[in-house]
Amino acid sequence: MRRATLARVVLLGPPLAFLLLVFALPLVRVVWGSVFAPGFTLEFYERMWRTPVYGRVFWITLKISLLTTIGAALLGYPAAYFLASVKPRTRQVLLLCVIVPFFLSVLVRNYVWMVLLQRTGLVNRLLLDWGVVGAPLDLMYNELGVLIAMVNMLLPYMIFPVLSALLAIPPELRHASASLGAHPAKTFWRVTLPLSAPGVAAGGLLVFIVSLGFFITPALLGGPKQMMVSNLIEFSVRQVLNWPFAFALANTLLLGTLLLYAIYVRTLEGRMPRAAGLP
Amino acid sequence: MRRRLRPLAARAALAVTGGSVLAFLVVPVLTVIPMSLSASMVFELIPTTPGFTQYQRFFASREWMLALGRSVQVALGVMVVATLLGTLAALGLRRLATRSRRLLEAALIAPRIVPSIVFAVAVYYVFAAAGLVGTVAGLVLAHSVLAFPFVVVFVGSALHGVDPALEEASLSLGAGPVATFARVTFPQIRLAVFGSALFAFNVSFDEVVVTLFISGVRAKTLPVKVWDAIFYEITPILPAISTVIIVASLVVLTPLLLVRRRA
Repeated sequence: MRRATLARVVLLGPPLAFLLLVFALPLVRVVWGSVFAPGFTLEFYERMWRTPVYGRVFWITLKISLLTTIGAALLGYPAAYFLASVKPRTRQVLLLCVIVPFFLSVLVRNYVWMVLLQRTGLVNRLLLDWGVVGAPLDLMYNELGVLIAMVNMLLPYMIFPVLSALLAIPPELRHASASLGAHPAKTFWRVTLPLSAPGVAAGGLLVFIVSLGFFITPALLGGPKQMMVSNLIEFSVRQVLNWPFAFALANTLLLGTLLLYAIYVRTLEGRMPRAAGLP
Repeated sequence: MRRRLRPLAARAALAVTGGSVLAFLVVPVLTVIPMSLSASMVFELIPTTPGFTQYQRFFASREWMLALGRSVQVALGVMVVATLLGTLAALGLRRLATRSRRLLEAALIAPRIVPSIVFAVAVYYVFAAAGLVGTVAGLVLAHSVLAFPFVVVFVGSALHGVDPALEEASLSLGAGPVATFARVTFPQIRLAVFGSALFAFNVSFDEVVVTLFISGVRAKTLPVKVWDAIFYEITPILPAISTVIIVASLVVLTPLLLVRRRA
Protein backbone atom coordinates (compact mmCIF):
# COMPACT_ATOMS: atom_id res chain seq x y z
CA MET A 1 0.00 0.00 0.00
CA ARG A 2 1.22 3.48 -0.82
CA ARG A 3 2.22 5.53 2.14
CA ALA A 4 -0.37 8.24 1.51
CA THR A 5 -3.17 5.68 1.27
CA LEU A 6 -1.96 3.99 4.43
CA ALA A 7 -2.05 7.32 6.28
CA ARG A 8 -5.64 7.94 5.17
CA VAL A 9 -6.74 4.48 6.27
CA VAL A 10 -5.04 4.81 9.65
CA LEU A 11 -6.47 8.28 10.25
CA LEU A 12 -9.99 7.87 8.88
CA GLY A 13 -10.52 4.17 9.61
CA PRO A 14 -11.18 4.32 13.36
CA PRO A 15 -13.54 7.34 13.31
CA LEU A 16 -15.47 5.95 10.35
CA ALA A 17 -15.75 2.49 11.90
CA PHE A 18 -16.98 4.10 15.12
CA LEU A 19 -19.63 6.23 13.39
CA LEU A 20 -20.71 3.30 11.26
CA LEU A 21 -21.27 1.06 14.28
CA VAL A 22 -22.72 3.49 16.81
CA PHE A 23 -24.46 5.98 14.50
CA ALA A 24 -25.17 4.74 10.97
CA LEU A 25 -26.05 1.15 11.83
CA PRO A 26 -28.69 2.09 14.45
CA LEU A 27 -30.23 4.58 12.01
CA VAL A 28 -30.37 1.99 9.25
CA ARG A 29 -32.07 -0.29 11.74
CA VAL A 30 -34.75 2.40 12.26
CA VAL A 31 -35.41 2.74 8.55
CA TRP A 32 -35.47 -1.04 8.14
CA GLY A 33 -37.66 -1.62 11.18
CA SER A 34 -40.26 0.85 9.96
CA VAL A 35 -41.00 -1.15 6.81
CA PHE A 36 -40.10 -4.76 7.69
CA ALA A 37 -42.05 -6.28 10.56
CA PRO A 38 -40.90 -8.92 9.60
CA GLY A 39 -42.28 -8.90 6.02
CA PHE A 40 -42.43 -5.72 3.99
CA THR A 41 -45.29 -3.48 5.11
CA LEU A 42 -46.31 0.15 5.00
CA GLU A 43 -48.85 -0.48 7.73
CA PHE A 44 -47.14 1.80 10.24
CA TYR A 45 -46.86 4.74 7.88
CA GLU A 46 -50.44 4.24 6.87
CA ARG A 47 -51.52 4.28 10.49
CA MET A 48 -49.53 7.43 11.06
CA TRP A 49 -51.32 9.28 8.29
CA ARG A 50 -54.76 7.71 8.66
CA THR A 51 -55.21 8.19 12.41
CA PRO A 52 -56.42 11.76 13.04
CA VAL A 53 -54.72 11.92 16.46
CA TYR A 54 -51.30 11.30 14.94
CA GLY A 55 -51.94 13.56 11.98
CA ARG A 56 -52.69 16.30 14.48
CA VAL A 57 -49.33 15.74 16.19
CA PHE A 58 -47.61 16.46 12.88
CA TRP A 59 -49.68 19.59 12.34
CA ILE A 60 -48.91 20.83 15.85
CA THR A 61 -45.21 20.17 15.27
CA LEU A 62 -45.26 22.22 12.05
CA LYS A 63 -47.34 24.97 13.63
CA ILE A 64 -45.15 25.33 16.73
CA SER A 65 -42.00 25.25 14.60
CA LEU A 66 -43.37 27.93 12.29
CA LEU A 67 -44.48 30.18 15.15
CA THR A 68 -41.09 29.70 16.84
CA THR A 69 -39.38 30.73 13.59
CA ILE A 70 -41.53 33.86 13.31
CA GLY A 71 -40.93 34.72 16.96
CA ALA A 72 -37.18 34.20 16.58
CA ALA A 73 -37.13 36.46 13.50
CA LEU A 74 -39.14 39.21 15.21
CA LEU A 75 -36.87 39.22 18.26
CA GLY A 76 -33.64 38.20 16.57
CA TYR A 77 -33.58 40.82 13.83
CA PRO A 78 -33.61 43.89 16.11
CA ALA A 79 -31.06 42.20 18.38
CA ALA A 80 -28.76 41.51 15.43
CA TYR A 81 -29.32 45.03 14.08
CA PHE A 82 -28.39 46.45 17.47
CA LEU A 83 -25.27 44.25 17.67
CA ALA A 84 -24.26 45.34 14.17
CA SER A 85 -24.64 49.01 15.11
CA VAL A 86 -22.28 49.05 18.11
CA LYS A 87 -18.48 49.26 18.11
CA PRO A 88 -16.69 45.93 17.45
CA ARG A 89 -15.31 45.83 20.99
CA THR A 90 -18.74 46.33 22.58
CA ARG A 91 -20.12 43.77 20.15
CA GLN A 92 -17.60 41.15 21.29
CA VAL A 93 -18.76 41.62 24.88
CA LEU A 94 -22.49 41.73 24.08
CA LEU A 95 -22.16 38.61 21.93
CA LEU A 96 -21.36 36.70 25.10
CA CYS A 97 -25.05 37.21 26.01
CA VAL A 98 -25.90 35.16 22.92
CA ILE A 99 -23.10 32.61 23.03
CA VAL A 100 -22.93 31.67 26.71
CA PRO A 101 -26.59 30.69 27.32
CA PHE A 102 -26.46 28.74 24.06
CA PHE A 103 -23.95 26.35 25.63
CA LEU A 104 -25.69 25.98 28.98
CA SER A 105 -27.77 22.93 29.80
CA VAL A 106 -31.01 22.89 27.79
CA LEU A 107 -32.68 20.96 30.59
CA VAL A 108 -31.79 23.57 33.19
CA ARG A 109 -32.98 26.39 30.95
CA ASN A 110 -36.32 24.65 30.40
CA TYR A 111 -36.66 23.97 34.10
CA VAL A 112 -36.03 27.65 34.85
CA TRP A 113 -38.81 28.60 32.45
CA MET A 114 -41.14 26.20 34.28
CA VAL A 115 -40.36 27.93 37.56
CA LEU A 116 -40.70 31.42 36.10
CA LEU A 117 -43.91 30.81 34.14
CA GLN A 118 -45.95 28.82 36.66
CA ARG A 119 -49.02 30.46 38.21
CA THR A 120 -47.09 31.43 41.33
CA GLY A 121 -43.92 32.15 39.34
CA LEU A 122 -41.92 35.31 39.02
CA VAL A 123 -43.51 36.49 35.78
CA ASN A 124 -47.04 36.28 37.16
CA ARG A 125 -45.90 37.85 40.43
CA LEU A 126 -44.44 40.85 38.63
CA LEU A 127 -47.51 41.22 36.40
CA LEU A 128 -49.76 41.16 39.48
CA ASP A 129 -47.58 43.55 41.46
CA TRP A 130 -47.44 46.05 38.64
CA GLY A 131 -51.19 45.80 38.21
CA VAL A 132 -50.91 44.60 34.61
CA VAL A 133 -53.27 41.71 35.30
CA GLY A 134 -55.85 41.06 38.00
CA ALA A 135 -55.38 37.30 38.25
CA PRO A 136 -52.40 35.06 37.43
CA LEU A 137 -52.17 34.08 33.75
CA ASP A 138 -51.74 30.55 32.44
CA LEU A 139 -48.30 30.90 30.91
CA MET A 140 -47.33 27.24 30.74
CA TYR A 141 -48.74 23.80 29.98
CA ASN A 142 -49.97 25.52 26.82
CA GLU A 143 -48.68 26.73 23.47
CA LEU A 144 -47.56 30.08 24.85
CA GLY A 145 -45.19 28.48 27.35
CA VAL A 146 -43.67 26.22 24.68
CA LEU A 147 -43.19 29.17 22.33
CA ILE A 148 -41.57 31.43 24.94
CA ALA A 149 -39.03 28.78 25.88
CA MET A 150 -38.38 27.61 22.31
CA VAL A 151 -37.81 31.13 21.01
CA ASN A 152 -35.52 31.75 23.97
CA MET A 153 -33.48 28.67 23.17
CA LEU A 154 -33.33 29.02 19.40
CA LEU A 155 -32.72 32.78 19.08
CA PRO A 156 -28.93 32.36 18.60
CA TYR A 157 -29.58 30.34 15.42
CA MET A 158 -31.31 33.45 14.06
CA ILE A 159 -29.06 36.15 15.48
CA PHE A 160 -25.76 34.81 14.10
CA PRO A 161 -26.70 34.54 10.40
CA VAL A 162 -28.59 37.86 10.46
CA LEU A 163 -25.69 39.57 12.19
CA SER A 164 -23.15 38.28 9.71
CA ALA A 165 -25.40 39.36 6.83
CA LEU A 166 -25.75 42.85 8.35
CA LEU A 167 -22.01 43.19 8.98
CA ALA A 168 -21.28 42.21 5.39
CA ILE A 169 -23.26 45.19 4.01
CA PRO A 170 -20.75 47.89 3.01
CA PRO A 171 -21.52 51.03 5.07
CA GLU A 172 -20.99 53.11 1.90
CA LEU A 173 -24.30 51.82 0.55
CA ARG A 174 -26.19 53.32 3.48
CA HIS A 175 -24.21 56.53 3.28
CA ALA A 176 -24.93 56.76 -0.43
CA SER A 177 -28.62 56.21 0.16
CA ALA A 178 -28.67 58.88 2.87
CA SER A 179 -26.66 61.38 0.86
CA LEU A 180 -29.06 60.92 -2.06
CA GLY A 181 -31.76 62.17 0.30
CA ALA A 182 -33.38 58.93 1.47
CA HIS A 183 -34.93 59.01 4.91
CA PRO A 184 -33.28 56.51 7.32
CA ALA A 185 -36.47 54.44 7.31
CA LYS A 186 -36.40 54.33 3.52
CA THR A 187 -32.73 53.36 3.55
CA PHE A 188 -33.60 50.52 5.91
CA TRP A 189 -36.48 49.25 3.74
CA ARG A 190 -34.70 49.64 0.40
CA VAL A 191 -31.08 48.83 1.28
CA THR A 192 -30.48 47.16 4.63
CA LEU A 193 -33.48 44.83 4.84
CA PRO A 194 -33.18 43.37 1.30
CA LEU A 195 -29.44 42.83 1.73
CA SER A 196 -29.87 41.09 5.09
CA ALA A 197 -32.81 38.97 3.89
CA PRO A 198 -30.58 35.94 3.08
CA GLY A 199 -29.45 35.99 6.70
CA VAL A 200 -33.05 35.95 7.90
CA ALA A 201 -33.85 33.12 5.49
CA ALA A 202 -30.86 31.07 6.64
CA GLY A 203 -31.57 31.71 10.31
CA GLY A 204 -35.26 31.01 9.85
CA LEU A 205 -34.65 27.71 8.12
CA LEU A 206 -32.20 26.64 10.81
CA VAL A 207 -34.61 27.56 13.60
CA PHE A 208 -37.41 25.69 11.84
CA ILE A 209 -35.28 22.57 11.31
CA VAL A 210 -34.12 22.42 14.92
CA SER A 211 -37.66 23.16 16.18
CA LEU A 212 -39.08 20.14 14.38
CA GLY A 213 -37.08 17.77 16.60
CA PHE A 214 -37.69 19.57 19.90
CA PHE A 215 -38.45 17.19 22.73
CA ILE A 216 -37.61 18.65 26.14
CA THR A 217 -39.54 21.93 25.88
CA PRO A 218 -42.91 20.50 24.79
CA ALA A 219 -42.52 17.74 27.39
CA LEU A 220 -41.89 20.17 30.24
CA LEU A 221 -43.77 23.33 29.28
CA GLY A 222 -46.49 22.02 26.99
CA GLY A 223 -49.80 20.40 27.78
CA PRO A 224 -51.31 17.32 26.11
CA LYS A 225 -52.27 19.49 23.15
CA GLN A 226 -48.65 20.49 22.54
CA MET A 227 -47.38 16.95 22.00
CA MET A 228 -44.83 17.15 19.17
CA VAL A 229 -43.52 14.32 16.98
CA SER A 230 -40.53 13.75 19.30
CA ASN A 231 -42.82 13.34 22.29
CA LEU A 232 -45.01 10.90 20.39
CA ILE A 233 -41.91 8.88 19.48
CA GLU A 234 -40.86 8.72 23.13
CA PHE A 235 -44.39 7.79 24.16
CA SER A 236 -44.53 4.98 21.58
CA VAL A 237 -41.23 3.51 22.70
CA ARG A 238 -41.28 3.97 26.45
CA GLN A 239 -44.99 3.79 27.30
CA VAL A 240 -46.57 1.49 24.73
CA LEU A 241 -43.45 -0.31 23.39
CA ASN A 242 -44.66 -0.04 19.81
CA TRP A 243 -41.26 -0.10 18.14
CA PRO A 244 -42.22 -0.29 14.45
CA PHE A 245 -44.62 2.62 14.85
CA ALA A 246 -41.94 4.66 16.67
CA PHE A 247 -39.52 3.77 13.86
CA ALA A 248 -41.99 5.04 11.25
CA LEU A 249 -42.41 8.31 13.15
CA ALA A 250 -38.66 8.69 13.69
CA ASN A 251 -37.99 7.95 10.04
CA THR A 252 -40.50 10.58 8.93
CA LEU A 253 -38.96 13.18 11.23
CA LEU A 254 -35.48 12.22 10.01
CA LEU A 255 -36.43 12.49 6.34
CA GLY A 256 -38.12 15.84 6.85
CA THR A 257 -35.11 17.19 8.71
CA LEU A 258 -32.59 15.94 6.14
CA LEU A 259 -34.66 17.28 3.25
CA LEU A 260 -34.88 20.76 4.77
CA TYR A 261 -31.20 20.65 5.68
CA ALA A 262 -30.31 19.75 2.09
CA ILE A 263 -32.35 22.74 0.92
CA TYR A 264 -30.51 24.90 3.44
CA VAL A 265 -27.08 23.75 2.25
CA ARG A 266 -28.00 24.04 -1.43
CA THR A 267 -29.68 27.43 -1.40
CA LEU A 268 -28.43 29.43 1.55
CA GLU A 269 -25.31 28.18 3.26
CA GLY A 270 -22.90 28.90 0.41
CA ARG A 271 -24.29 32.37 -0.17
CA MET A 272 -24.11 33.41 3.43
CA PRO A 273 -21.36 35.96 3.87
CA ARG A 274 -19.11 35.12 6.80
CA ALA A 275 -18.25 38.28 8.63
CA ALA A 276 -15.05 38.45 10.61
CA GLY A 277 -15.16 38.11 14.36
CA LEU A 278 -18.02 35.65 14.52
CA PRO A 279 -17.80 32.09 15.75
CA MET B 1 -32.40 70.23 15.73
CA ARG B 2 -35.18 67.88 14.74
CA ARG B 3 -32.89 66.15 12.29
CA ARG B 4 -30.42 65.44 15.08
CA LEU B 5 -33.05 64.38 17.57
CA ARG B 6 -34.67 61.80 15.40
CA PRO B 7 -31.61 59.61 14.80
CA LEU B 8 -30.85 59.86 18.51
CA ALA B 9 -34.35 58.68 19.41
CA ALA B 10 -34.08 55.92 16.84
CA ARG B 11 -30.73 54.82 18.25
CA ALA B 12 -32.15 54.79 21.79
CA ALA B 13 -35.15 52.74 20.65
CA LEU B 14 -32.82 50.29 18.93
CA ALA B 15 -30.61 49.97 22.00
CA VAL B 16 -33.63 49.36 24.24
CA THR B 17 -35.14 46.75 21.89
CA GLY B 18 -31.83 45.01 21.20
CA GLY B 19 -30.83 45.17 24.85
CA SER B 20 -34.16 43.66 25.93
CA VAL B 21 -33.71 40.71 23.59
CA LEU B 22 -30.19 40.13 24.91
CA ALA B 23 -31.56 40.34 28.47
CA PHE B 24 -34.28 37.84 27.51
CA LEU B 25 -31.47 35.46 26.50
CA VAL B 26 -29.36 35.81 29.63
CA VAL B 27 -31.48 36.86 32.59
CA PRO B 28 -33.96 33.95 32.90
CA VAL B 29 -31.26 31.32 33.36
CA LEU B 30 -29.53 33.49 35.97
CA THR B 31 -32.64 33.70 38.17
CA VAL B 32 -31.91 30.13 39.21
CA ILE B 33 -28.97 31.36 41.29
CA PRO B 34 -30.94 33.45 43.86
CA MET B 35 -33.61 30.73 43.88
CA SER B 36 -31.00 28.15 44.87
CA LEU B 37 -30.12 30.08 48.02
CA SER B 38 -33.57 29.62 49.49
CA ALA B 39 -34.22 27.43 52.46
CA SER B 40 -37.97 27.59 51.93
CA MET B 41 -40.16 25.34 49.83
CA VAL B 42 -41.83 28.17 47.90
CA PHE B 43 -40.12 30.22 45.27
CA GLU B 44 -38.51 33.42 46.48
CA LEU B 45 -36.59 35.74 44.20
CA ILE B 46 -34.77 37.19 47.19
CA PRO B 47 -34.78 34.41 49.78
CA THR B 48 -36.10 35.42 53.22
CA THR B 49 -33.60 33.15 54.93
CA PRO B 50 -30.73 32.87 52.45
CA GLY B 51 -28.29 30.05 52.92
CA PHE B 52 -26.68 27.03 51.37
CA THR B 53 -29.16 24.51 52.78
CA GLN B 54 -30.06 23.12 49.37
CA TYR B 55 -26.42 22.74 48.37
CA GLN B 56 -25.70 20.92 51.62
CA ARG B 57 -28.61 18.58 50.94
CA PHE B 58 -27.34 17.95 47.43
CA PHE B 59 -23.76 17.22 48.40
CA ALA B 60 -24.87 15.09 51.37
CA SER B 61 -27.17 12.92 49.29
CA ARG B 62 -25.60 9.60 48.30
CA GLU B 63 -28.03 9.21 45.44
CA TRP B 64 -27.34 12.61 43.90
CA MET B 65 -23.60 12.20 44.38
CA LEU B 66 -23.71 8.85 42.58
CA ALA B 67 -25.42 10.54 39.65
CA LEU B 68 -22.93 13.42 39.65
CA GLY B 69 -20.01 11.00 39.81
CA ARG B 70 -21.42 8.98 36.93
CA SER B 71 -21.94 12.12 34.84
CA VAL B 72 -18.35 13.19 35.38
CA GLN B 73 -17.09 9.68 34.65
CA VAL B 74 -19.04 9.50 31.37
CA ALA B 75 -18.03 13.03 30.36
CA LEU B 76 -14.35 12.26 30.95
CA GLY B 77 -14.69 9.13 28.82
CA VAL B 78 -16.38 11.13 26.06
CA MET B 79 -13.65 13.73 26.29
CA VAL B 80 -11.03 11.08 25.48
CA VAL B 81 -12.96 9.08 22.87
CA ALA B 82 -14.49 12.00 20.96
CA THR B 83 -11.32 14.09 20.97
CA LEU B 84 -9.17 11.20 19.82
CA LEU B 85 -11.50 10.08 17.04
CA GLY B 86 -12.38 13.63 16.00
CA THR B 87 -8.76 14.69 15.75
CA LEU B 88 -7.90 11.59 13.72
CA ALA B 89 -10.80 12.35 11.38
CA ALA B 90 -9.80 16.00 10.99
CA LEU B 91 -6.22 14.97 10.17
CA GLY B 92 -7.46 12.40 7.67
CA LEU B 93 -9.89 14.78 5.98
CA ARG B 94 -7.03 17.12 5.20
CA ARG B 95 -5.36 14.44 3.11
CA LEU B 96 -8.33 13.96 0.78
CA ALA B 97 -9.13 15.68 -2.51
CA THR B 98 -11.62 18.54 -2.19
CA ARG B 99 -14.57 16.59 -3.60
CA SER B 100 -14.29 13.51 -1.43
CA ARG B 101 -13.38 15.68 1.55
CA ARG B 102 -16.61 17.67 1.28
CA LEU B 103 -18.66 14.49 1.06
CA LEU B 104 -16.97 12.82 3.98
CA GLU B 105 -17.11 16.00 6.05
CA ALA B 106 -20.89 16.12 5.57
CA ALA B 107 -21.13 12.49 6.70
CA LEU B 108 -18.96 13.15 9.76
CA ILE B 109 -21.00 16.08 11.03
CA ALA B 110 -24.31 14.28 10.38
CA PRO B 111 -24.81 13.47 14.10
CA ARG B 112 -25.42 17.19 14.66
CA ILE B 113 -28.22 17.28 12.09
CA VAL B 114 -30.13 14.13 12.97
CA PRO B 115 -32.72 15.02 15.67
CA SER B 116 -31.60 13.69 19.07
CA ILE B 117 -34.83 11.77 19.55
CA VAL B 118 -34.24 9.81 16.33
CA PHE B 119 -30.70 8.89 17.37
CA ALA B 120 -31.99 8.13 20.88
CA VAL B 121 -34.56 5.59 19.67
CA ALA B 122 -32.10 4.06 17.19
CA VAL B 123 -29.26 3.65 19.64
CA TYR B 124 -31.62 2.44 22.39
CA TYR B 125 -32.86 -0.37 20.17
CA VAL B 126 -29.38 -1.48 19.13
CA PHE B 127 -27.88 -1.08 22.62
CA ALA B 128 -30.72 -3.08 24.16
CA ALA B 129 -29.81 -6.00 21.91
CA ALA B 130 -26.10 -5.56 22.66
CA GLY B 131 -26.58 -5.34 26.44
CA LEU B 132 -25.24 -1.78 26.55
CA VAL B 133 -28.31 -0.11 28.06
CA GLY B 134 -27.64 1.09 31.59
CA THR B 135 -23.86 0.93 31.26
CA VAL B 136 -21.26 3.68 31.45
CA ALA B 137 -19.60 2.28 28.31
CA GLY B 138 -22.87 2.63 26.39
CA LEU B 139 -23.28 6.23 27.54
CA VAL B 140 -19.70 7.08 26.56
CA LEU B 141 -20.18 5.59 23.09
CA ALA B 142 -23.49 7.37 22.44
CA HIS B 143 -22.36 10.74 23.80
CA SER B 144 -19.15 10.50 21.80
CA VAL B 145 -21.20 10.34 18.61
CA LEU B 146 -22.82 13.65 19.58
CA ALA B 147 -19.58 15.37 20.63
CA PHE B 148 -17.49 14.04 17.73
CA PRO B 149 -18.64 16.53 15.03
CA PHE B 150 -17.61 19.52 17.17
CA VAL B 151 -14.09 18.14 17.48
CA VAL B 152 -13.88 17.55 13.72
CA VAL B 153 -14.99 21.12 13.01
CA PHE B 154 -12.80 22.83 15.68
CA VAL B 155 -9.64 20.85 14.96
CA GLY B 156 -10.36 21.01 11.23
CA SER B 157 -10.47 24.78 11.26
CA ALA B 158 -7.27 24.94 13.30
CA LEU B 159 -5.61 22.68 10.72
CA HIS B 160 -6.44 25.22 8.03
CA GLY B 161 -3.81 27.43 9.61
CA VAL B 162 -1.11 24.76 9.50
CA ASP B 163 1.27 25.08 6.57
CA PRO B 164 1.74 21.62 4.97
CA ALA B 165 5.20 22.70 3.83
CA LEU B 166 6.42 22.55 7.44
CA GLU B 167 5.24 18.95 7.76
CA GLU B 168 6.77 18.02 4.41
CA ALA B 169 10.04 19.56 5.48
CA SER B 170 9.98 17.55 8.69
CA LEU B 171 9.24 14.34 6.78
CA SER B 172 11.91 14.96 4.18
CA LEU B 173 14.45 15.59 6.93
CA GLY B 174 13.87 12.05 8.12
CA ALA B 175 11.35 12.44 10.94
CA GLY B 176 8.65 9.76 10.88
CA PRO B 177 4.95 10.63 10.54
CA VAL B 178 4.37 10.22 14.29
CA ALA B 179 7.32 12.42 15.24
CA THR B 180 6.22 14.99 12.66
CA PHE B 181 2.75 15.07 14.16
CA ALA B 182 4.04 15.35 17.71
CA ARG B 183 6.73 17.96 17.00
CA VAL B 184 5.29 19.98 14.10
CA THR B 185 1.53 19.59 13.68
CA PHE B 186 0.26 19.10 17.21
CA PRO B 187 1.90 22.18 18.76
CA GLN B 188 0.05 24.30 16.20
CA ILE B 189 -3.38 22.78 16.84
CA ARG B 190 -2.95 22.17 20.57
CA LEU B 191 -5.40 24.85 21.67
CA ALA B 192 -8.13 23.57 19.35
CA VAL B 193 -7.61 19.99 20.54
CA PHE B 194 -7.81 20.92 24.23
CA GLY B 195 -10.70 23.28 23.53
CA SER B 196 -12.70 20.61 21.77
CA ALA B 197 -11.93 18.19 24.60
CA LEU B 198 -13.54 20.64 27.04
CA PHE B 199 -16.43 21.13 24.67
CA ALA B 200 -16.92 17.37 24.36
CA PHE B 201 -17.01 17.14 28.16
CA ASN B 202 -19.75 19.77 28.25
CA VAL B 203 -21.81 18.11 25.51
CA SER B 204 -21.83 14.86 27.46
CA PHE B 205 -22.35 16.46 30.87
CA ASP B 206 -25.53 18.24 29.69
CA GLU B 207 -26.98 15.53 27.44
CA VAL B 208 -30.54 14.48 28.33
CA VAL B 209 -32.56 13.09 25.44
CA VAL B 210 -30.37 10.17 24.40
CA THR B 211 -29.40 9.49 28.01
CA LEU B 212 -33.06 9.24 29.08
CA PHE B 213 -33.40 6.22 26.81
CA ILE B 214 -30.11 4.39 27.32
CA SER B 215 -29.29 5.06 30.96
CA GLY B 216 -31.87 2.52 32.12
CA VAL B 217 -32.41 2.44 35.86
CA ARG B 218 -28.82 1.55 36.66
CA ALA B 219 -26.80 4.33 35.06
CA LYS B 220 -28.77 7.54 35.63
CA THR B 221 -26.70 10.64 35.05
CA LEU B 222 -27.22 13.95 36.82
CA PRO B 223 -29.45 15.49 34.08
CA VAL B 224 -31.60 12.33 33.98
CA LYS B 225 -32.03 12.43 37.76
CA VAL B 226 -33.01 16.10 37.43
CA TRP B 227 -35.51 15.16 34.72
CA ASP B 228 -37.06 12.53 37.00
CA ALA B 229 -37.17 14.98 39.89
CA ILE B 230 -38.95 17.60 37.76
CA PHE B 231 -41.68 15.08 36.96
CA TYR B 232 -42.01 13.02 40.09
CA GLU B 233 -41.08 15.07 43.12
CA ILE B 234 -41.40 18.72 43.98
CA THR B 235 -38.18 19.58 45.69
CA PRO B 236 -36.46 22.90 46.37
CA ILE B 237 -33.13 21.16 45.75
CA LEU B 238 -33.44 21.53 41.97
CA PRO B 239 -32.40 25.20 41.69
CA ALA B 240 -29.21 24.36 43.61
CA ILE B 241 -28.45 21.40 41.34
CA SER B 242 -29.26 23.53 38.29
CA THR B 243 -26.77 26.10 39.51
CA VAL B 244 -24.12 23.41 39.95
CA ILE B 245 -24.73 22.21 36.37
CA ILE B 246 -24.52 25.75 34.99
CA VAL B 247 -21.40 26.62 36.96
CA ALA B 248 -19.76 23.38 35.78
CA SER B 249 -20.45 24.37 32.16
CA LEU B 250 -19.15 27.88 32.73
CA VAL B 251 -15.96 26.59 34.35
CA VAL B 252 -15.39 24.19 31.48
CA LEU B 253 -16.21 26.69 28.74
CA THR B 254 -14.49 29.84 30.05
CA PRO B 255 -11.07 28.82 28.73
CA LEU B 256 -12.70 28.29 25.32
CA LEU B 257 -14.18 31.79 25.29
CA LEU B 258 -10.88 33.30 26.39
CA VAL B 259 -9.04 31.50 23.60
CA ARG B 260 -11.67 32.65 21.12
CA ARG B 261 -11.20 36.26 22.11
CA ARG B 262 -7.45 36.04 21.81
CA ALA B 263 -7.61 34.36 18.41
